[in-house]
Formats: sequence, C-alpha cells, structure tokens
Amino acid sequence: MFDKVEAFHRPDTIGEAIRLLGSSKGARVVAGGTDLVVHGDQSARVLIDITRAGLSYIRRRGASCVIGATTTMAQLEESDAIRGLAGGVLAHAAATCGSIQIRNVATIGGNIANASPAADLATPLLALDASVVVAAPGGRRKVGLAEYLAGARGRSLVKSLLVEVVIPEPARGPRCGWSFQKLGRTAVDISLVNAAVGLQLDSKGRVKWARIALGAVAPAVVRASAAEEMLTGRVLDRSATDAASAEVARAVSPISDVRATAQYRREMSRVLAGRALEECAARAGWPL
Amino acid sequence: MSGRNVVGKNVRKVDGLKLVTGGAAFTDDIQLPGMLYGKILGSPHAHARLKRIDTRKAKALLGVHAVLTYKDVPRVPHTTAGQSWPEPSPYDTYLLDSKVRYVGDRVAAVAAESRAIAERALRLIEVEYDVLPAVLDMEQAMAPGAAVIHDESDSKGIHDREHNVAGYIHRGIGDVEQGFRESDCIFEREFRTQRQQHCPIEPHITISWLDANDRLVIRTSTQVPYHTRRQVAMILQIPVSRVQVIKPRIGGGFGGKQEMLLEDIAGALAMAARRPVKIEYTREEEFYMARTRHPQILRMKMGVKRDGTILASHMIVLATTGAYGSHAGTVQGNTGSKVLPLYRAPNMLFHCHVVYTNTPVAGAFRGYGCPQGFFAQETLADEIARELGMDPLEFHSRNVIRLGDIDRLSAQLGEGKEGLPRVIRSCGLPQCMERGAEAIGWREKRAKTQDGGHLKRGVGMACTMQGSGIAGVDWASAFLKMNEDGAFFLQAGAADVGGGADTVLAQIAAETLGVTIDKIVITSGDTDSTPFDVGAYASSTTIISGGAVKKAAEKVRAQVLGLASKLLDTPPDKLECANNEVFTTCACRKSVSMSDLAMHALYKEKLQIMDGASHFNTDSPPPFCATFAEVEVDTETGQVRVVHLATAVDPGVAIHPKLAEGQVEGAVAQGLGYALTEELVLDGAGRPLNANFCDYKMFSAKDMPKLTTILVETDEPLGPFGAKSISEVPINGPAPAIANAIFDAVGVRIRKLPIRPEDVLKALRSEVAAQ
Amino acid sequence: MKTMEVRLKVNGEGKQFAVAPGEVLLDVLRREGYFGVKRGCEKGECGACTVLVNGRPVNSCLMFAAQAEGAEVLTIEGVAHGDVLDPVQEAFLDSGAVQCGFCTSGMIVSARALLDRRPDPTEEEVREVMAGHFCRCTGYLKPVEAVLAVARKTKRGGRKQTARVAR
Repeated sequence: MFDKVEAFHRPDTIGEAIRLLGSSKGARVVAGGTDLVVHGDQSARVLIDITRAGLSYIRRRGASCVIGATTTMAQLEESDAIRGLAGGVLAHAAATCGSIQIRNVATIGGNIANASPAADLATPLLALDASVVVAAPGGRRKVGLAEYLAGARGRSLVKSLLVEVVIPEPARGPRCGWSFQKLGRTAVDISLVNAAVGLQLDSKGRVKWARIALGAVAPAVVRASAAEEMLTGRVLDRSATDAASAEVARAVSPISDVRATAQYRREMSRVLAGRALEECAARAGWPL
Repeated sequence: MSGRNVVGKNVRKVDGLKLVTGGAAFTDDIQLPGMLYGKILGSPHAHARLKRIDTRKAKALLGVHAVLTYKDVPRVPHTTAGQSWPEPSPYDTYLLDSKVRYVGDRVAAVAAESRAIAERALRLIEVEYDVLPAVLDMEQAMAPGAAVIHDESDSKGIHDREHNVAGYIHRGIGDVEQGFRESDCIFEREFRTQRQQHCPIEPHITISWLDANDRLVIRTSTQVPYHTRRQVAMILQIPVSRVQVIKPRIGGGFGGKQEMLLEDIAGALAMAARRPVKIEYTREEEFYMARTRHPQILRMKMGVKRDGTILASHMIVLATTGAYGSHAGTVQGNTGSKVLPLYRAPNMLFHCHVVYTNTPVAGAFRGYGCPQGFFAQETLADEIARELGMDPLEFHSRNVIRLGDIDRLSAQLGEGKEGLPRVIRSCGLPQCMERGAEAIGWREKRAKTQDGGHLKRGVGMACTMQGSGIAGVDWASAFLKMNEDGAFFLQAGAADVGGGADTVLAQIAAETLGVTIDKIVITSGDTDSTPFDVGAYASSTTIISGGAVKKAAEKVRAQVLGLASKLLDTPPDKLECANNEVFTTCACRKSVSMSDLAMHALYKEKLQIMDGASHFNTDSPPPFCATFAEVEVDTETGQVRVVHLATAVDPGVAIHPKLAEGQVEGAVAQGLGYALTEELVLDGAGRPLNANFCDYKMFSAKDMPKLTTILVETDEPLGPFGAKSISEVPINGPAPAIANAIFDAVGVRIRKLPIRPEDVLKALRSEVAAQ
Repeated sequence: MKTMEVRLKVNGEGKQFAVAPGEVLLDVLRREGYFGVKRGCEKGECGACTVLVNGRPVNSCLMFAAQAEGAEVLTIEGVAHGDVLDPVQEAFLDSGAVQCGFCTSGMIVSARALLDRRPDPTEEEVREVMAGHFCRCTGYLKPVEAVLAVARKTKRGGRKQTARVAR
C-alpha cells in the first residue's frame, strides 16, 4: 500500500529522472514494479517511473552489446541479438524469471539494482564480465558488475540511476559453449541455486578459458575463479569437470532459509556446475 | 445410465456465463455507500496476556469509526468450527480476548474510511503484552511444566485443560493384542505430516451491515451460511432471525471456509459503527490467521499372516489443533474411522491425543484427517507387501473392504460421539485398482530394470476411501415453486463453493421433474430465502442436499401430475414428465406443456405448485479411490518429478462427469503439493516464515504431471440417482502413492511430508552408506 | 489527498480516472466497476488480477495506475465481442475449465493474448502461460485443454457458437 506517496512522475529523459531522484529523500525509482511493489517500501514519497526515459533498447556499440536498463525480461527473451549472444544464456536466464506477466514488465535494471542474491540475470552477466553504467548528478560512470553488486547495500542512499548494461562481445567460434542452469523447488521459483558457465576449447579439447558464475549461494553472485583457473589449459573430461565442480562447491557461501539448507545449496552448486560444464562441452562439440 | 436426460450429462455450469465474463459475482464485487474498511490487529507474540490496551489515539484518528477490544464486546465462549449444534469442538474461542494464543491472534479490530486509515489506526493502538512461554512443539505440549494455553475457566469441552489436550480418542473393535499375537509378522513405523494451507485464490472476506430493518446482513465467503448465522447470533447476543447470511459465488473453500472466521468481528464492527464494514484477509493473513490442516505424528502398527491377511491394526496419533480446538476431535476421529476400515482387519484400535500449541489454528481441510492417515497406512501397507514378496495390488485385493461388508469401527468413531455402523452397499474398488493399474502401466513398469543413469523411475499405488456426508448429522432441505413459463425456482440452502453444486442440484431437479436444465433457476446459500442446509463439507452436497432436492422435486412432480391428470383426463400413473411436458403413456398420445400447465394452475386453479423437503442419511457410503503414481527421481539432486498420476474413483453415479473429473483433478493437485512441496513453516517464536505464494510452493500448471482420471461408476442406493461423492477422496492418494513410487525407484522410504529433495538425497546417502 | 488524472483506454473505451499517485491499477479498475479483475495476493504471484496492457498480460496489482497513462487496457469485461462470447470463453464453458471462477478472468485474458500471438500453441506453451495463474480448483488440466481446443477449432475454421452475454 503506497498511500503515503505524494507524487508520481514520468520523466522522459534520464537527466530529469536524476534531478527528481535527488529532489526528495523519499524518491524511489520504479519500472516494472515487481520488486518495489512487492516489498512495499513505506518510506516512498515520490515515485519516478523511468520506463519512458528512453532506456529500453538492445544495441551494438563497438565490440559490445548494450542494453538499456528498462529493457524487460520478455524483450530479452525475444531478441534475436540476445538469443545469439553467448549461446543465449542471458535470454535463457530471462525466460526463467517468473511468470509471463512478470517478464512482461520486470526489467534488467531492476533485477540488477535490487541486488537480490538470487537475481537470475546477474549470474550470466557476471560470467560475461558485464559492466553497468550509472548516472548521477555529476555524470555517468561505468562500473564492473561485481563492484556494483558489492556496493549494493549502500545504494539506496546514493542518488544514482543504473541506466545501461554493457556486455563485451565474448569470444566466438565453433568450440564455444555456454550454459545456464537453475534449480527451484517448482518450475516457477526463485533460484535455490543458479549457474552460468561458458568456455572455449582448442582443437585438442583443452580449455582456453572458462567462466563460472553462481547465484543464490552467496550474498551476491560469485565467480568461481579457482575452478576457472583449474580448468584452464586442462583437457575437458569428466575428471576435470568433477574437480572443477568440487572447487565450485568450496567457492560458495550459501545460507539456510525456508527454501533450502546451506548444505543442500552447496551440494547443488557442485551438481549444477557439473551439469553446466557438461552442457557447455556438448555445445562446444566436445561431448563428455 | 440409460434413459436419463440431464443427470449424467455435461451441461454448462448454471453460473458459468457470469464467471467467464467477469460478472460481479463474488463477495467483494459490490460497492455499498459509506462502506468502511475493517482490519484486525494480530498478536506479534505466540502467547501473551494483554496487560494494558489503550485505543484512545486510534479512536481519535480522523476517519476511524469503531475500535473494539475485549472490553467492548460480550464474552461468549464458542467454537468457530462450522458444525451442527451442539458442535463437537471445544468452546474455547472468544470474539476478542485479553489473552492471545498464537502469532496473528486477535488483539483488537478497527473500522475506518479507507484501508490506509485502518492500517494507521492499528499502529496507534497501544498494547502492553505480558509475554508468556510459548508451546510450539506438539511433542512438548503435554509435558510437565508446559504453559497452559487455555487456562481460562469459562471454556468448555476441553478434554484436559491443564495438559493442553483439546481432544482425546480411544476406540476400537476386537482385540488388537490378540490379533498381534496371532500374526506371523508385525510392522511398526512412525510418520509425520505437515501444516498445509488451503490457499483459496479468493482469501476470506466478509461484508456486514445493518439494513433498514436493523437486521444484521452478512455477505461472506463461506461454506456454512447457516452455522455461521447461528454462531454470530450467539456471539453478538442477538436473535438468529435478526441475522441474514448471504453466500455469493465463492473463490474456493476446501474446508478453510467451513468456519465462522470474519463474520463475527465484521458484524460487531458494523453494529458499533452503524455503517457497512468490509474485512478481507490479505494473502499473508490468509496463510496464518485463517486455518490450516492438522499436522500429525502417526505411529502405525500392523500384524499380518504370511499370506498377507491383516489381523490387527493399531494407529496412535499425536496431532496439534493449534491455538484453538476447531475441528480438533472430528478431523482426528476421521483419521481413525475412515482410514483403518479400508482393510477388513477384525481387530483395530485408534488412540489419539489432540493438543493445543501456540501456533496457527488448524481446522477442516479437504480429506479431513484422511490424507494424514492414508499416508501412514498406505505407505506401511506397501512396505508390508514388499516384505512378504507380494505385489501391492494383490495385498490390497486380499484385504480391502468389499461390497456387503459392515464397517463396525465407524460405530465407535462418529463425529465426536457414538456413530453408526456403515454398510457397504456399493463398491467399485476392485475395478478402480484394475483400471488404474492399467492406466499407469503397473505390470510392465514394475518388471522393468533401470538403466545406469542418474534418473530412476518407479511406480507406486495407494487405495483410499472417504465418506459421503456425516451419518445421522448432516441434513439439508430444498424448496421448489413453479412459474408461468414452466420453469421452477429451486431454493436450496446448499453452499456451492465453486465445485458446481448449484449445477448438480439443478440437474437432479430437472431430471426428476422432466424438464430441461434451463427450466431450473436456483438460488442457494441465503439464510433468508433458502431453507436450512448444514453447508458444504464432508462430501455431503450431492448426496444430502441432492437428496433433499430430489425429494422436493418428487413432491412437486406429484402436484404437477395431479393437475395434469385433471387436464388430460388420465390417471396420474399413466402420465410421464419429460422434455418440459407431461404426456400420457397409453396409446392416445395426449400431452400438456409445463408452461400451459403452470398458467392454468396459477390463473385458473389459483394454485401455486410448490413444495419442500428435508433429507438426511443414517449411513455414509464411501467413495473409493485407487491412485497410481509414476515418478522419476533425480539421484543427484533428490528432486522427484511425478511423470504420471492416474486416479480411478468410484463416486457412485457421476451426476455431471466433467465436474466430477474436475474435482479429481483439483484434489490431486492439492495432494501433489501436500506430498512434495507445501508446508507453512514457523520460526522459533511461532511466526510464519513463508506466508506468501513465492515461498509457500503450490504446484503450477508447469509442475503438473500427466493426469488420468477414471470414473468407475456404481449405483448407491442411498444417493440421488445412485450418487455418492467425489470431492475429497482423490486428495488422499497422491502422497502415499508417490512415497511408494520413490521406494520402487530408488529403494528409500520417506515417512515425512512434504517429501523434499533434501530428504530424498539424505535417504539415498544413508542407503548407500548402509550397503 | 492529491489526485492525478490518468487517461487511457479500457476495453476500447476512452477513460479518465482520478487516482492517487501511489494507487495500483488493480484497485483503480475495481473501484471503477471492473469487478472481473480479481484481488488474490497483491504481489504478482497468483495472476488473478491479470489484464492486458498494450496487448501484453501483466499483473495489475504491480502496476501503478499512473503507469497506464496512454495505454490500451483489456480486462475480462472486454473479451466478449458485444453480445457474442469469445471462442476462449466458449471453450472454458464447454470443457469444464471453470469451477469457482476466481482465476478464470485472468486465465481467459492471458489465453486470448497467447492465441492472438500464436494461434497454434504447443501444450508446453499453453502451460507456460497458465503457470502465471494459480488455480486451486481444477489442477489446470481442463483450462489447458480449453485453450488447445480453441486452437484446434480455429485451425479447422470452426463455426463460432453464439450466446447471450449477461449485462
């Protein structure tokens, strides 16, 4: 119930949105409403709807794919560009973010800015080394996703606006494989664990690079760097994926809650990482 | 059945048009001038006394029209259970009290001009709590030193107040100890079941107002208009005839609305404010301030001969009813009386303590004690069959109750008092087992060996039964009158809560009167304009309310034939009614249309063709059900995917086959959630942790397995056109069938619900470790 | 309380609603008499409040009324074509897909949007749509079958049945 809200604005430029955001302590940004309305922030006094501020786009800029912050899950799912990017992991993740009604309004910016540990888009974005562009009264700056998520706790006090997601074009080639895996209690659920994995092999099946990101098993989405390093240069076979998965299980710090225990999440991190690696291998033309 | 025109046909639901066009049909779909918004202040503590409560600031807030605490209302002990008077549940509840007994219990109530003002008013009520130690674990409720939850002296009907025992049952037939002595093998296991919530898509909602004649009108989402009227009148200390309860379309009940829940407080606020007051639960409140299923710990012991014959079964149950004893003795009574007699064991004993805990209140929920009991019994039966090297189908065939049998246990375990023995006059269970087994591919799938992958498949089964109405207690009445166009107005007290009762009753009336379904206009569930009916519960509507409708229709038919006899100059026994006309059965084919006959009656004879009837049964014929599940267990994640669920039910005759199938499919969906995902979880302070649809998981359309529904029709002498019931029994099978299928797949027995992936994984690990 | 004017189209009609800035679309629609749009959870989980906004199903409990400015909204009340039921409504009636009816408004609106975009959906696609609608009565089977029946009938060029719509 937002009965204390005094004003509702729909700025058509980012500059106007930033100005409004800074004008009152109770100013809150809203796009899809799927987090704001659900959590019922009682301190909201001014609502700033940014869905008309020109932030809904998917484009190429140089060697990057850039996505406006108010691009919806549905738009990501349906976009040829996103489906063709990194084996479609981002599109796949977007397709698991709740029901069709939710995906029609929920935005990539909201998914990141609300920084839920289980945010499904953050996982493939981290695996893709994405950055975000943040606009503030002083101008814009680009921040690595991990750094942005790490600062999430203080976000509400900083009058900045996430306006764009930048994804550097990942390596292409016949021996690339990407995979997104999600575990929920039912088909439509907040992730108990999710994983986004990408790798590239050489002609002898050795791993040139690997990216492994896990979500819902730490305060923010994590990269399992030790597992990635362990795989690099190694021939991708079952003992490699088993070893890497075991390493992933060591990299996470899950909690117990009403959905699952920490122990189960840790165990499932291993299982999901293994399955993702297996799927990547198959897509890279190197089935295990 | 041959020769039936309306019964047995899939007519369009009589309220269907309204529902597919979004017509204003539900409780909230009205706007009353001056209507206020009511809200209840729920206790933040699981157990506390109100040391001080000050409502002055709340009352002074602009837009607030009433604020009530225990000081402002009469103190009348009662039960909220929607049951016939005198209700067999303890009278341990008060409109508002100076003590709170669970998180969410009523502290105060306000009525204000908007939801926002009402919420603000709640925050302005100053309360000082004297927090008491809470009893959250049912296994600790009777322990020495446990806090006494109902220490008030004026509550009645509590079995043992000092030890928090709301209800106690100890009944049986034969001699179980002797039976065990004669047995070749004895099996004893413990089972645990959880708190499930009904999750009707429409939460509880009530609107109440004083009309121009100063009568209290209550428009409410209820399964029990008449019980609610009686109880509200008693609590507010006004005559029953000064209260009117109207039940509009209901967005699901499943037992959660077999309860007087918001009507008393809405009425009290309406009387205090002298304005209409609406109270509706938010989804969160619906989870923990309404009702839940009773969690149970069941110990089941069965003694069998080597050939599989069951000689003795002994069930010991510990259940908690939460903070108040609504349905405490009766739900658990059912766990014994409807479950044990599925088998023809000559010796049975049921022993049960129902305790209070400072937790959300349990009440009626589809199955009413049977899902818990059948989970225990059918899982144990499967284990026994396997130990004896028998196909579970064979074990069941050997032991299940048969046509012509007498169930003597139900004489011991009536609804809170002596019951009546039950005679099985119709039984399609053997065919249910055969056809269900065929649908799931039982023989082929059990014989198949598994390949080496991490996904393992298995099949499992369960047989279950229920009742159809409460023998000697449930009753109904109906009234019919004829109109100029040959249509009949049917006034039935019955409460259609969404399953299609209005349609089924209209079909019964139409068939009996020989008219088409469009010639029945039904009004139901209004205590002013429809005659008494206990309400929609215990799978009673088709058989009991339908029985009353049939009787009333037969009486009216006799009047129609009496007049037709005069008009056609033919004795009534040579007349038939069909297709909206009365015609002679002899060679001279004379006839008169129903509308001509009606015009003649009303305007020439000065006769209103009308009559009513009441009906009850002295027996409760069980519907029978065989449930078969095929599951796929992921041995790496522990996840259980139900591939196929086949349900074969004997409902007697299905008055409306598609609505009957719909009952099966909906019940099975709730049974799947009960088996695998649903549980209302509380923290160490008794607060709900998952009171929302995100964290409390129901099956969605994407989770549902392939469903096969098989109706095995039999002809029940006690039911209208041979009908029994179908609305509850299918919910009993999925949990044990799935548990048994998991065993078939991976060799582990889970005896605790819900069966979570973690539990399966843990069991698999210990199984591997053991080997 | 300061109100704002929101101009939009509802079921093809131009409308102007006075709303509080923090009001959600669900509350405004019901206040304006669109009782077919249901309140089930207020958290975008049950789908009972589903309406189409510019052709896409959304949970009206999560959308601020002010966000519907300039939009075309379709509620269940606008699904029928004058006096003639939409094939989806007919199919729901014929296949036993309606029990209590509380989730029905949302399901029909979503199904209509699906069939407008994909006239021949797979069962999986229909279940994906239905996964945004909790139903505690039917187990989803008959609603899914109803939608597939409409698709089949449209493919065959089936004749539309007519029925009087209650006003």
